[in-house]
Amino acid sequence: MRSLRIGLLLGLRQIQRAGKFTTLLIIFVMMLTFLNLIAVSGVLIGLIAGAEQAVRQNGLGDLVISPKDAEDHILDTEAVIRYLEAYPEIATYSVRYAGNAVLEANYKERRNLQNERDETAVTVTGIDPYREDTMSDLSQWIVEGEYLDPNEEGYILIGAYYVSQYAELYGDIFETIEEVHPGDTVRMTLGDVSKEFTVKGIIQSKVDDVNLNTYINEKEFRRLFNRIDRNADLIVMKLHHPEQNAQVKESMVQSGLSSYAKIQTFEEGLPKFLTDIKNTFDLLGTFIGSIGIIVASITIFIIIFINALSRRRHIGILKGIGIERRAIEIAYVLQAAFYALAGSLLGALLTYLVLVPHFAANPINFPFSDGILVAPPESTFIKFMILFVITLIAGFLPAWMIARQNTLNSILGRK
Amino acid sequence: MKPIITAKDIHRSFGKGHLETHVLKGIDLEVSEGEFLAIMGKSGAGKSTLMYQLSLLDKPTSGSILIDDKNVLSLSEREKTRFRLNTLGYIFQDYALVPDLSAIENVMVPILMRGGSWERAKRTAKESLDSVGLEGKYENLPSELSGGEQQRVAVARAIAGKPKIIFADEPTANLDSVSGERVIDLIASLNKAGQTIVMVTHESEYAQSCHRIIHMEDGAIVKEEKRK
Repeated sequence: MRSLRIGLLLGLRQIQRAGKFTTLLIIFVMMLTFLNLIAVSGVLIGLIAGAEQAVRQNGLGDLVISPKDAEDHILDTEAVIRYLEAYPEIATYSVRYAGNAVLEANYKERRNLQNERDETAVTVTGIDPYREDTMSDLSQWIVEGEYLDPNEEGYILIGAYYVSQYAELYGDIFETIEEVHPGDTVRMTLGDVSKEFTVKGIIQSKVDDVNLNTYINEKEFRRLFNRIDRNADLIVMKLHHPEQNAQVKESMVQSGLSSYAKIQTFEEGLPKFLTDIKNTFDLLGTFIGSIGIIVASITIFIIIFINALSRRRHIGILKGIGIERRAIEIAYVLQAAFYALAGSLLGALLTYLVLVPHFAANPINFPFSDGILVAPPESTFIKFMILFVITLIAGFLPAWMIARQNTLNSILGRK
Repeated sequence: MKPIITAKDIHRSFGKGHLETHVLKGIDLEVSEGEFLAIMGKSGAGKSTLMYQLSLLDKPTSGSILIDDKNVLSLSEREKTRFRLNTLGYIFQDYALVPDLSAIENVMVPILMRGGSWERAKRTAKESLDSVGLEGKYENLPSELSGGEQQRVAVARAIAGKPKIIFADEPTANLDSVSGERVIDLIASLNKAGQTIVMVTHESEYAQSCHRIIHMEDGAIVKEEKRK
């Protein structure tokens, strides 16, 4: 207790009397370390969180109904829809039919039949354009042309990755049809059946499933793909209270809906690769942050070491007049604690008052997501505690090294 | 008078083998309670080294030291630190104040370490500073004080805990003659009040107030002068 009191007095006065520039510089370094720890991993995770958000907002919604594992489609889809219509928690939903076909373009200009066809295999989704738009805001992702009209047939929306002028930005990853624009005619073929469509619009979103998709009116889809039973492939929905999706799912299961289909929350329905990438990015961010912590702890070590070394004689004198070593060590640990606390506090203020709101308002524009800064307070607190403890150790070690030296040697400046 | 320090056959050497240097060569010395002893000698005579042994800042290679009837060489480092805190006071050549602490805080630190309350430490520190003529300079940092004033703060720090013995290592070495005399007068007045003092000096005029002067040469006491 006595040592603590003396240590606090010595440490406090050292902080007070230290050069302001040096103090500010050290606090600045600690702030950068904090930001490195929180913001770097936050942005990395934010990329995936942004992608997740986009998938939830513009793809899967809060709850997903899909075929049971042994089935190809959702059984008795109409009964399921009737149930959903009556369910008060559901804000909106969309029924999707999915199939695969070959899409051919520019066939009218193909004079030489020996030439290769301009075609690509595509995923086709049959939707009710109105419902789908209320569910996933699909119309807002039209980059060329217009959105589908619920009352029109013979029109198609094509995902950007199937069209050369958009897909070429990503190299040769995607198989495309060449230079197709709204108003052009394309031909969809599945098996022996072919149908011509007029391109209504090109659609490009942060969700790859949208970019790698073509959309047609559901009635036309059912005819083309011979889905007379009206059983759908996917029903996605948004809830009035998205955070209660697990409870709503449970209630649907309880009411027997799971005998027709598999019901999953968004989190359960999320592609595993997204979760894997998120975990990997988190690990990567922690790794980068750890390097930051090591650099900061070495910085603190050097600062405290130089500080203690330059005061070695005074440390010797303090010991000489009977001040316990522990008090001297506490004084230096207090300084390290002050630097860590001040730097982290500034870093936290900058993170939560500036960076998080800034990235929320101006997400980083990545091809697959709108990157935000994810910095959950609990995780920030844990990282801060790690930084704090390591800084304390980095402050203690040099003080301990200098304070344990022979008292008389310290007083006389001998080695 | 009862001896407060009894040192017998004190040897101190540095280095090993053919590089070994014998700085103290079997010193026998007694210091009585209330005595003012001066240790004099040329540079390298071993006077400071002797004082470091007696004041527990160093450990002799061999020999024994009793302070206040306690075999101090058998104490652990921690016990020695506590012993120095409670029994001994120090005045160093270059004041040895903590530069970040004000004059009063420099004096308060050992009092607080002894367990005194903040208020008591402050009161005692003020009394000590007043007694060395530093009223009104309580809050000054060492850098804001002259050399003489700094040394008086060091004296105030040494006496604040009412130690049994004060060790002064060339306390006037860095002072001008006026400040030096003032510090010596201060130390002498402490002795008159019954304080035991062991002072190392190489300036004979400052040793005039002492009861006894021992002269050292080449690690041994070569002459002893009783003055009063």
